[in-house]
Amino acid sequence: MQPLIEARGLCKRFGGILAVDHLALSVQQGELVGLIGPNGSGKTTTINMLTGHLSPSAGEILLRGERSEGAAPSSFAARRVGRTFQITQLFSRMTVLENMLVPGLARPHSHRAEATRQARAHLEFLGLAKLEGLQAKNLSGGQQKLLELGRALMLDPEILFLDEPFAGVNPFLRDEIIGLIQKLHAEGRTFVIVDHDIEAIQRLVKRLVVMARGAKIADGAVEDVSHDPEVLRAYAGV
Amino acid sequence: MTRSLAGQAALIALAAVVAVIFPHLVNNYWLSVGITALFYAIVAASWALLVGYAGQFSFGQMAFVSMGAYTSGMLAKYYDVPIPLGIATGVVLCAITGCVIGYVCLRMRGPYLALFTVAFSEVLRIILVSEAEVTGGNGGLQIPSLFRGRSDLPYYYLGLVLLGGSLALMGWLVRSRWGLFFRAIRENEEAAAAAGVKVVRFRLLAFAIAAMFAGLAGGFFGHYVGILTPDIGSVDQMGLVVAMAVIGGPESLIAASIGAILVEFLLEALRAYEQWRLVLFALVLLLTVRFARNGLLALGADSVMRVFRRRDAATPARTA
Amino acid sequence: MLDYLLSQLLNGLVIGVIYAVIAAGLTIIFSILKIVNFAHGEVFMAGGYFSYFAIALLGLPALMGIPAAMLLCFLMSLLIERTLLTPLYSPKTERKGDYGVLATFGVSILLRNLALLVFGSYPLRPPSFWSGSLIVGAIYLTWDRVFAAGFGVLLLALLVWFMYRTPWGEALNAVGQSRESASIVGIDSTRFYRLAFGLGGALAGAAGALVGPIYSLSPSMGLAPDTQAFAIVILGGMGSVPGAIIAGLLIGLCENMFVAFFPDPSRALTYAQAFSLVVLMIVLLVRPTGFFGRRHMAME
Repeated sequence: MQPLIEARGLCKRFGGILAVDHLALSVQQGELVGLIGPNGSGKTTTINMLTGHLSPSAGEILLRGERSEGAAPSSFAARRVGRTFQITQLFSRMTVLENMLVPGLARPHSHRAEATRQARAHLEFLGLAKLEGLQAKNLSGGQQKLLELGRALMLDPEILFLDEPFAGVNPFLRDEIIGLIQKLHAEGRTFVIVDHDIEAIQRLVKRLVVMARGAKIADGAVEDVSHDPEVLRAYAGV
Repeated sequence: MTRSLAGQAALIALAAVVAVIFPHLVNNYWLSVGITALFYAIVAASWALLVGYAGQFSFGQMAFVSMGAYTSGMLAKYYDVPIPLGIATGVVLCAITGCVIGYVCLRMRGPYLALFTVAFSEVLRIILVSEAEVTGGNGGLQIPSLFRGRSDLPYYYLGLVLLGGSLALMGWLVRSRWGLFFRAIRENEEAAAAAGVKVVRFRLLAFAIAAMFAGLAGGFFGHYVGILTPDIGSVDQMGLVVAMAVIGGPESLIAASIGAILVEFLLEALRAYEQWRLVLFALVLLLTVRFARNGLLALGADSVMRVFRRRDAATPARTA
Repeated sequence: MLDYLLSQLLNGLVIGVIYAVIAAGLTIIFSILKIVNFAHGEVFMAGGYFSYFAIALLGLPALMGIPAAMLLCFLMSLLIERTLLTPLYSPKTERKGDYGVLATFGVSILLRNLALLVFGSYPLRPPSFWSGSLIVGAIYLTWDRVFAAGFGVLLLALLVWFMYRTPWGEALNAVGQSRESASIVGIDSTRFYRLAFGLGGALAGAAGALVGPIYSLSPSMGLAPDTQAFAIVILGGMGSVPGAIIAGLLIGLCENMFVAFFPDPSRALTYAQAFSLVVLMIVLLVRPTGFFGRRHMAME
């Protein structure tokens, strides 16, 4: 079966540093993949390339079989690739509803009434419905994380890249986010999740990809990967 | 909510009535001040569109005014091009130049963009000063007037129509999805891109649209004054527009243009104080920047709202 | 022709030193406070007038005009910093870059108009530091220019010594590199913001006092050096004092060579003003946020 998104020989060089080193990764429709690795191992850089926020120095990205490396983020978004950021990025001086409407109306052939209806439905799903008139900067940290997820959902994404969704999140909210991801996954959405919270990741995903120093060092079922000697070595910080 | 809408409509109607009968209440001198105020109001609103809504901190707005005025003026003077056509040409040229500036500035933000646009304005001004055979240099360029006859009245009403039309168009624009994208880009370019907004396209559009309105205002005002000098595009003139928009409120088209009208009238009313008034306005600008970044009008409106809210605290009205 | 070029070259060097002094001040302000100071040229202008009036009203000897201008510009900068720039240090302030631009732009308008009001628009010429001219063969250079260049070099040398060889300078550098780490090792940042802004202003003031006898003083004299200094600062690498010195000399030289080689002499002088502006635009295009301030997504 054709992968939903695939990277071949993907490299990113910053000055003299090879941040991502010939990465090969393919994600099938409906998968829920955890992408882990120590700090500086190239996880965020990889996501940034797979969503168009960075141009790869070399290699190919195939989105539903179509060459897409170096395309603008908006082009990825239009092809139903959603993402969140490591540090929550909202339109802080716009209301919650407006935050949702930006992606809703950026889609071709969208209508305001329909986009508003969808936005309200997603806000309801995320438990933010009552806050739609508030400015985003007045939300709590946790609500902001949810809103960012909601904004990505407005793209009706087939695949969602979540960059550290559990960082700085209290245990209750963490469980809530896990529940939301599971529901969305059950609807058929594909996820790639980067996080340091191994416990949360293990509760969620079946497949783990491990990166270290820009390269993929393991890729497989959670139980296999977590006993991989190379992974243990990478995490021991050798 | 309906009450605030009705209130707004009443205010607009009142402003329109005052604006229409204004020429019959004042002498020629104040009429000419009124026309100048209308000109500045359009420019201040266009600056608010670019800076307040789209977040592109540009100091190049008066350069586009000057470009619009000189284009139309020289076409009319040297090639007998009908003035409306000349103004339209100036507007198109401003749109194209705006696009180019927007494109080359894509990787710049904040202070760097401000610097670049200051440099651009100054270079344009220096070219206008230096190429004196064509532009008249510092001595000025005599250009034909838009209307025959001595009366300023037609200019006033045309200016009023242009201001009303510009505000209506820009107002419609900022309420449309484009306006939403402008604000998203202002708030966070990275996130806007991730949300599917074509950031490059909308940054260029913001520059081009703002430049068009500036060019339009320039063409109109140039043919009213009848003599063009490179000083229209000077840093000091830009400073005046910035002061007008900031004092009014840079994040609202209406507030910025009211700011422009108020400042222009006050400047004339205080003419007896000569240089003092500019010092005074610079001080007001600094105080506004320091203590009321959303402008004095917004501050005023806020306090009025607060009084109202306190009065009917029992039925708290949600503001739209 | 050769003599002409040689004297243009020397004049270029003199101007280059002055530019370097102005730009060094601007770059210190930039590296510590992280703002692009649009009012720097007006502080330079004020320095010229302060020197003039210190000499004319207080009867100081011409040479004493320079320290007087530096002191007054230092104090004026402190006043500006205390009244207007403190929101830059508060985490509550949104869009600090925009705030810095608006505030300093407002100060520049205020100072320019205040100067027009107080000093009038007619040009003033302070007395010479050193009258007469240096004449070697066909090369002709007023002693004022020689003096300005010499004094400028002295100031720059002192500045470099201060920045790299004294504990205060080192602390200033530390704050410039990272506010957080500076505060961890116990450096009170706000004091250094004040010091940096005052020091930058004093340098601009010295430059203003130095050019007074060469050109005349006018309220709008700060406009051109302001953009020139920006071009120099970005060209030399944001925040680098040695970079600003080298780039300042370079721009001074190139500008004078530009005038010397411009085909149409009647336009050469007006277009000379555009020279550094075009340099500034090109530098901004090639290095859009200078050497500092890239807000690309971090590696990780």
